[in-house]
Amino acid sequence: MIAEENTSKVKSMSFLNCSRSREKVSSPTDSPPYDKEQYFKKQNVSSPVDSEHSSRGDFPNIMLEYGNEPLQYDLYATIGKGCNDAGTISVAKHIASGHNVAIRQVDLDKDLDVIALQREIVLCRQIHHESILPYYTSFVHNNEVWTVMPLMAYGSCRDLLHAYFANGLPEQAIAYILRDILCALDYLHGRGIIHRGVKASHILISAAGRVCLSGMRMACPLIKHGEWKKCVYRYPENAQKLLCWFSPEMLEQNLRGYDTKSDIYSVGITACELANGYPPFSDIPATEMLLEKLSGIMPSLNEYTTQPDLIPDENVANSEDSGKETSNTTQTVTIKRSFSANFHHFVKLCLERDPYKRPSAQSLLSHPFLKNLRKKSTSVLPSLLLPVTPLLDASKLPKEPVDNGVDKAHHVYFKR
Amino acid sequence: MPLFGKSQKSPQELVKSLREGLTALTRETGEKKLDKASDDVSKNLAAIKTVLYGTESQEPQTDQVAQLAHEMYDHNMLQLLVTHLGKIDFEGRKDVAQIFNNLLRRQIGTRAPTVEYLCSRQEIVLDLMKGYETQDIALNCGMMLRECCRYEQLAKIILYSEDFHKFFDYVEVSTFDVASDAFSTFKELLTKHKMLAAVFLDQNYDKVFDPYQHLLNSENYVTRRQALKLLGELLLDRHNFSIMTKYISNPDNLKMMMNMLREKSRNIQFEAFHVFKVFVANPNKPKPILDILLRNKDKLVDFLTKFHTDRSDDEQFNDEKAYLIKQIKELKPVEET
Repeated sequence: MIAEENTSKVKSMSFLNCSRSREKVSSPTDSPPYDKEQYFKKQNVSSPVDSEHSSRGDFPNIMLEYGNEPLQYDLYATIGKGCNDAGTISVAKHIASGHNVAIRQVDLDKDLDVIALQREIVLCRQIHHESILPYYTSFVHNNEVWTVMPLMAYGSCRDLLHAYFANGLPEQAIAYILRDILCALDYLHGRGIIHRGVKASHILISAAGRVCLSGMRMACPLIKHGEWKKCVYRYPENAQKLLCWFSPEMLEQNLRGYDTKSDIYSVGITACELANGYPPFSDIPATEMLLEKLSGIMPSLNEYTTQPDLIPDENVANSEDSGKETSNTTQTVTIKRSFSANFHHFVKLCLERDPYKRPSAQSLLSHPFLKNLRKKSTSVLPSLLLPVTPLLDASKLPKEPVDNGVDKAHHVYFKR
Repeated sequence: MPLFGKSQKSPQELVKSLREGLTALTRETGEKKLDKASDDVSKNLAAIKTVLYGTESQEPQTDQVAQLAHEMYDHNMLQLLVTHLGKIDFEGRKDVAQIFNNLLRRQIGTRAPTVEYLCSRQEIVLDLMKGYETQDIALNCGMMLRECCRYEQLAKIILYSEDFHKFFDYVEVSTFDVASDAFSTFKELLTKHKMLAAVFLDQNYDKVFDPYQHLLNSENYVTRRQALKLLGELLLDRHNFSIMTKYISNPDNLKMMMNMLREKSRNIQFEAFHVFKVFVANPNKPKPILDILLRNKDKLVDFLTKFHTDRSDDEQFNDEKAYLIKQIKELKPVEET
């Protein structure tokens, strides 16, 4: 927490693309003014900021409550999309405390599974782990569900790859990220939850370098009706965007089902994604990907040992000291770069075709690749991610008006 | 999970130790002692959960489970755990719910001992319902309560309890996760055991459908939409025939659905359609209903013709829509006698 407060003094440039305009157009000025009475009358119901949680993480430890009223927040620029594009994630300021938060607004009138969204939010509220993105509170405003969460100022690992590390993150950074993700998975797996959505875009990093797993919408419990099932068979709905990361046994959809080890395979794919800059199989059609995975073809980290056919080009600068990579140098970098034997071995273990041969999250945590790391990622990660710096001051961003008039007209019309 | 079998506590010891921890948790005032008590409680809960669910390498052992269950009943542990749930720490509360749910599914032959036990101690189930009033334990209570709903005897206790009407408030609390959880319990109660629910709704028609109207008019979009969807499901279930007949005889209900057909949200329009169709399809329309439909005949035909025309791949919807249009076109006033 202190770290986050301190670093906020450092002037920084945001890598986040804040110029994207909000999809929704705010209501015209002739709409009635914001009905304060309507929103304040339910105000006594709000959720306390959990002290247990805030003492453990680096998020603001404020002894106040995040309320369930849109008026309690100032919304700034949109920083991302979620929920199959039905959700908009914006930087916001909790007015009472002045703290930066992120707010996800999900439009329920978009084509979207409301039950799945409810399940996700209920599940997230029952999870406390420092490496899993907490939801502070969630409430309904007009036809949207708002979820208040901490601002993860570096954005997702996918954002990092986009912003600067087009050819992959440094190995040390990957080690810290994966270590924290495995801690999160160990917590979930120990409670009978399969995440099913591990990928770079679901790994978020806070300004202080805290790594959080998000994307719990796909999560699936093994415990049901008081019984701990050995495996599940259900194939998740709306999973098109996740196919690359899914394990072969999950894609196979056979009677053997799949279990928590499926997440370990996704960790392997994510490791390749973080190291190579893009996920394996992303350049081939889904059917081909399926066949390759089923036949046991194992993706790997790109470097000269794994791509011997390529001839290194001596003229192009090393990836480490050039910040302005263009896409046509990608191959060269791939060849010049090399990863540790431990990292290769780690990835290989995760990507075992047979789930029984894959280690658990817990045993992977003691893999040599993850040895000799500092206890807290927060002390190291930001320096490893330089020159990228986090987005720190929300008030420098353009402010979004709260669109209050959306439902007004027909509310009045239909009130009886 | 201890590495060596011998260091494991017996079920008797676990329950005893849990009880002592809970007592300390409610009596102690010093911060250190409270922390220790809380720690003890959570450790014992985790151990009990392991006995009931087993581990990855070991299936639960029947004799251990049986002993544990008896200790739990004999010492009234379920009641104690539910009463003091708010004092137990975050992970411990989830373990309580898992322990409760596992015990609930226990079966000996055709008997379900935990269900019988809860029937004789209804206050436990009623306490769980009250849990929705306390944010910190609402979701844990919801998990247990929904499991209870799967057993007809327990669902009956909840439905016929004095506090059932409170669900109409719980489903509308401003915290989305609690409201969602409460709604899924509410829905389970009204749909899981068809006969039970039908009799209940029939006997308590006004007590349910008066506040239900309020849900349909809620300011909260999610409440409105879910309530409307559930209404459609309830009316179209053949077990609820007499309830449906009653509902579709009330002209106020028809007016409300006609308004909802014009709601801004397409999802709400669509759900409203599935309730509206029941009014039109009714072969014995009461006069007030018929009058409204006749008065709006042309407008309705016009409206329905243009209604959700982009759903061309939804065959059933298009068939139903065509049927409604035909029905409305053919409407004739009844001869006054």
